Parts: sequence; C-alpha cells; structure tokens
Amino acid sequence: MWKEIALRRYQSRSQVVPQKSGQLLEKSRPYLYVAPALAFFTLFFFYPIAYMVYLSFYDWSLLDLSAMEWVGLENFHALFTDADFYQVLSNTFVFTVFTVSLGMGIAFFLALWLNHRAKIYGIVQAAIFTPHIISLVSIAMLWLWLMDPQYGLLNAILESFGLPPYSWLADTKSALASLILVSVWKVVGYNTLVFIAGLQSIPKYLYEAAALDRSPAWKTLWKITIPMLSPTLFFLLIINTISSFQVFDTINIMTQGGPVNSTNMLVFYIYEQGMDFYNGGIASAASVVLLLLVALLTLFHFLVLSKKVHYR
Amino acid sequence: MKKWKSYFLVLSLSVTAIFTGCSNQEVPSAAEGKQPAAEQEGPVEIDFWYALGGHNGEVLEGLVKKFNDSQDEVEVKAAYQGDYYENHSKVLAAVAAGNQPDVTMVEIGVIAAFADAKVLADLAPYTQGDEEKYIPGLMKNSYWNDKLVAVPFNRSTPLLYLNREMLEKAGLDPKGPKTWEELQQYSKALTKQEGGKTVTYGFSTPIDIWFYEALVFQSGGNILSEDGKSLAINSPEGKAPLEFWNGMIKEGIMKAPPGEKYNAWDVAKQDFINEQVGMIFTSTGDLKGLKDNAKFNVGAAFLPANKDYGVPTGGANLVMLAKSSEEEKKAAWKFMKWITETEQTIPWSLETGYMPVTQEAVDSDEMKAADPNFRVALDQLQYAKPRPMVPGYKELQEVIMTEIQRNVLGQATPDEALSAAAEKAQKLLKK
Repeated sequence: MWKEIALRRYQSRSQVVPQKSGQLLEKSRPYLYVAPALAFFTLFFFYPIAYMVYLSFYDWSLLDLSAMEWVGLENFHALFTDADFYQVLSNTFVFTVFTVSLGMGIAFFLALWLNHRAKIYGIVQAAIFTPHIISLVSIAMLWLWLMDPQYGLLNAILESFGLPPYSWLADTKSALASLILVSVWKVVGYNTLVFIAGLQSIPKYLYEAAALDRSPAWKTLWKITIPMLSPTLFFLLIINTISSFQVFDTINIMTQGGPVNSTNMLVFYIYEQGMDFYNGGIASAASVVLLLLVALLTLFHFLVLSKKVHYR
Repeated sequence: MKKWKSYFLVLSLSVTAIFTGCSNQEVPSAAEGKQPAAEQEGPVEIDFWYALGGHNGEVLEGLVKKFNDSQDEVEVKAAYQGDYYENHSKVLAAVAAGNQPDVTMVEIGVIAAFADAKVLADLAPYTQGDEEKYIPGLMKNSYWNDKLVAVPFNRSTPLLYLNREMLEKAGLDPKGPKTWEELQQYSKALTKQEGGKTVTYGFSTPIDIWFYEALVFQSGGNILSEDGKSLAINSPEGKAPLEFWNGMIKEGIMKAPPGEKYNAWDVAKQDFINEQVGMIFTSTGDLKGLKDNAKFNVGAAFLPANKDYGVPTGGANLVMLAKSSEEEKKAAWKFMKWITETEQTIPWSLETGYMPVTQEAVDSDEMKAADPNFRVALDQLQYAKPRPMVPGYKELQEVIMTEIQRNVLGQATPDEALSAAAEKAQKLLKK
C-alpha cells in the first residue's frame, strides 16, 4: 500500500521534467561535470606531454627559440650512444631499488612495532613522521652538514666508537649510498603511518582465530597480516617507485650529480641538460625516456603484482 | 531551477577555464601596451637580477638603493636569484616567457652562449665610447662578433691565500711561494701529523675548472685551440697540473676538499679559517670574508708560477637584455654606467674584495692606500687571460671537471682522463 503510493508519487514527479531538453541534458550531463577537470588536465598534463614529445624531435634551446631545427631521432640516438646516460640510468635504478625496498621494509617492521594504542607509541610515530613534513631542501642542507667528512656529526659519532671516518658524499663509491640513506630517512615516516592505518583495518577476529589455532607468530604474519595488508603494500610500492624515480632536490643541493657523475640521476640530468647546457632537445628526449620508464614500471606492477593483491 | 543553476555554473566555469587558457599569450602584450602610459608619469622601472648572496649581496643592494635615491628618472628593482647558474636558468626561462629582466649578471664563461643566441643587447649605441674607462684586462669577455655585449662588474681572479703566522712559525717567507716547486716545499713544511693522522695540510684547492685553467696557463698552455674548434689540454701543458696535484695528494701535503662545485670551495675556506690548512686557492671575492673571519694574519699572493705566472679572470659581467624596450634600455644603461663608475667601484671593491673595474679607480689614492692584499689581484691582472669564449663552454667545463676529478680520485690516469675529455669536447665544439 505505502509502496504503491511512493511509486506513484515518484512516477508523477519524473513526468514533470520536460522531455526533450531533458534527454539532451541527461546525455551531456556527465561530460559537463567532467569538463572543468578535463580542461585542467588537458592544459596542464596532456598538452605539455604532447608538446614535450614534439620538442624531443628538435634541436633547440631556451636561449633562442627561433632557431629550432628538426632532427628526427637524433636526440635519442645521442642519448643512447652516450656512456654517461647509461650511468645516469643505472644510478636511477640502483637508487630506486634500494630506496623503495629499504624504505618499505624498515617502515613495515616499525609499523608492526608501533601498532599499539599507548601514548609512548604515539610520540614515536610523530617523531618518525616529522621528516615527511619538513621541506626536502632543508633536509638536504642538514644532511650535508651531518655528512661533512671533517666536521660532520656522523663521523664524530663513528670516531667516538673508535671506527674509521666514512667518506660519505666525497667518494664515488659512497655518495649514492649516502643519498639513499637520506631518502630512506625521509620516506620511512610516511610509509610507517600508512602501514599502521592498514594494520588497524585488519579485523581482530582473524588474529583471534589464529590464536585459537595456536598459529606461530611468523605464520600469522605471513598468512594473515601480509595478505590483508597487500593493497597498502601495492599502493606504497607504486607511490615510492615513482617518487624515487623523480629524485631531484637532494642531488641538486648535496652532490650536483657528482663526484664524477656517481649520483647523477634522470631528473637532475634533464635539468642540467635543459637549463645549464642549453640542450633543450636532449632534455626533452630524456624526459620522454623518463615518462616511458615510469609508465612501463607502473604497468608492470599492475599486470604482475595486482593479481596478488587481496581486496576485501 | 536549482538544476539549471548548477548547469550554468559548470558551463561558465569550464568556459572561463578555456578562455584563460587561450588568452595566456595575450597577457604580456597587453601589459606592455599599458607600461608606457605608466612610465610617463613616474620614473622608468627596470628589473635587475643579481646572483650574489650574503655580505656581497647586501653591499650590492645598498648600491642600488643609493642609485634610486640619487635621481628620479630610473627606478631599479633588484632581485636576488641564487648563484650564477641559478640566475642564468631563471633568465633563460624568463626570456622564453617574455618577462625577462632588463639588466642581469652573467658569469663570464657563459657570455658567449647568451650572446650567440642574440639574447644580449648591443651596448655600443648607449655607451658611446664610454667603455674606454674600464681596465682593458677585464674587457676580454665582453665582445662577441666584435659587438660590445657586456661590461665588467664583479670581477675576480684566483689568489693564493696564506696563513702568514703559520708560515712564519715554520720559518718560511710570509710572502708565500713563488713557483710550483716552492709551493710543494712550503706545503711539506706546513703539513703536520699527529698519531698517524694529518691534522694540518699545507695546501688545499677545490679540483675546479677555474684553478685548472690557471695551472694550464701557468704551464704555457691553453684550454682551447686558437680557432676554438678543439680542446688543447690533451698535451704536456694540460697534463702538468694533474701530475702536480696528484703528486702533492700522494705525498699527503695537499687536501682535495670533498663536495661538489661550491661545496668544495666552502670546505677549503672553512679549513683555512680553522687553521687546518695553511694555504688555499680561492677567489679575490673571498678576501673580505676570510679577513673578517680568520683569527690570524691573512695574506694574499699571486698563484705560483710554473713556466710563468698565469690566471683566468672570473666573476660576472653586467649585460642588457635585447628584448627590453628602447626606453628601458636607456634607463638600464644609466644604471650600468653609474654602478661601474669610479666613485662606486672603489667602495664596491673595498667592501667585497672584487676588483675595481675602471683604470681611474686603480690609479686612485684610495685604492693605493688600501690594504696591499687588495692590490694583489690588480697586479696579477697583467698575467690574466680571458675564459674561453665559445657558446658550449658551460657544458665543456663540466666535462673537463668530471674528467680531471676522475683522475684526481684515482679512477683514471691523466692521459686517459684528458683524452676522454678531448673526445667529448670534439662533439661539443662542432655545434
């Protein structure tokens, strides 16, 4: 009875809407809603990307835009016959692999430890999250001083334990590792917080059931925690990979890509080529390579790993 | 009704977004059109971008303020843009976007690149021969294709800085070493070890292109061939500096300061102030800062000679941007002329340690009465050579620096490093 009345009312109301213009609006409505966002994306993403690809086929520099010259694939040829560029690529890969694996690994164990609701854990959480909210530029300046081989705090600590001083940024063998250390330090706090949020959304009854079955701790971790946390793991993996591919500030402030190119990575290389050496074409071509690499990596992650992600 | 309102809102928003996107390019021209009207009323405003921080930046700001207060035709808006290379990048981006400054500082090794791309205005119509007041030795990085495109401003040469007291205590001549051989002997005498650890090094220098250039000149060589088409350092003259440095580092009497680019310079200066190093190479521009911070008697001397004395000049010149309007250019020259005048360049030099730029200033009683350290750079100028003037030199100098560092770090022999540099240079210089 009530149902019928409600239905009738609904039908009569829907008839009030004028039919002809209504259909047109109904069809175009979704497009209208996305139009502002689409305009924004077109202007600030699609157009610049398309223009970057276009520019990568030209020999040009910001110095004189009137002297652009079509060179086809010459820029890409120059990149891939340059030994320095291969070193830049390999530096970027090494940096990404270590930053992502260490940054996530350490954060995971910190999260397991800090996943309690006592006050002291809150303080520790806040402490390790702090690096995330400090500007990377300030962080880089700070570490630059800490890592000073002669006056730095880190070597003073090493020395007080009777250990030999470390060369940190001064040597080709240790510079990249030093940059990885800074990035891991920066990213661990954020990762930990996301992990804790993930851990707390795992239903308690799963652990209770495991406890009843007397499942050992490592098995609980392997069979319950990690699978239930897989969406978080997957999210962090992609975010961390992309952001460590785009590392720039620490290099710019701490090493300028040196010593002897040992810390030169893709984004810094692009900046140097485009802004310091006036090779706009090479910079654009390297940007295209960066875009493709990040796209491929993300695609790889989705194709290979997303099947293993357990969504509730 | 409500629905219609929301459609309208969405539509108008997206339309606005599209229009603002399209009209972007017209904004500058509209602004340009308005400017002359505003200028007729008050002084001509010009933008001046500079690249000196700290004490030197403050001195420069003070000069700009003095200029603005001294007359009411031109109003200079000075803006700090970071170090030389950051400033170059920003100027480039601004030139492409059409909102460039009217006057800026350009490091002398990059003038050729800017001039070659026609970014810089020809100054001759404005100077009307006034450029003759400048010291000829400072004008070698000012011409491109016979056109005057820059005037000297904050110019420097490398100097050998000495901790006079340390030298005296070691029984050495406090005037410092005159030759490479003496530099080595002095360094050896000054180096001190405690418990197998070196606590004081005799000598330190950043492994930087500028000092390498100096040592090549001292050995009688050149960085580029006469025609500027090839690298000339793959030669005994180019090898000598590397062998000299390597030998001193191996002997444990020279410290190659860690860090890249200006970080290494800062380390060298800090070591010198802390008396952990007895002698360093650094710029004349550091004279004032080192004197103020050191607790000992700081001395300055010529860079020691190999076959002869020799140094590159350095620092930055003032340039005018070609895209500025005629009115702005006239105003810009007024400012450039004023700030390089004898009355301004003397206090500028005494406050910062950079060289005065006019011959009149050099001969003035004030400069003659000043601390003799300030005169060392001027006297050394007779041995100075310009930095190479080719458009690709910024990239080339990075290539050379990377290769010589590779050698000093022991990853390549001098021959391997120099032939690698020469090979890469070949590609760059063909452009």
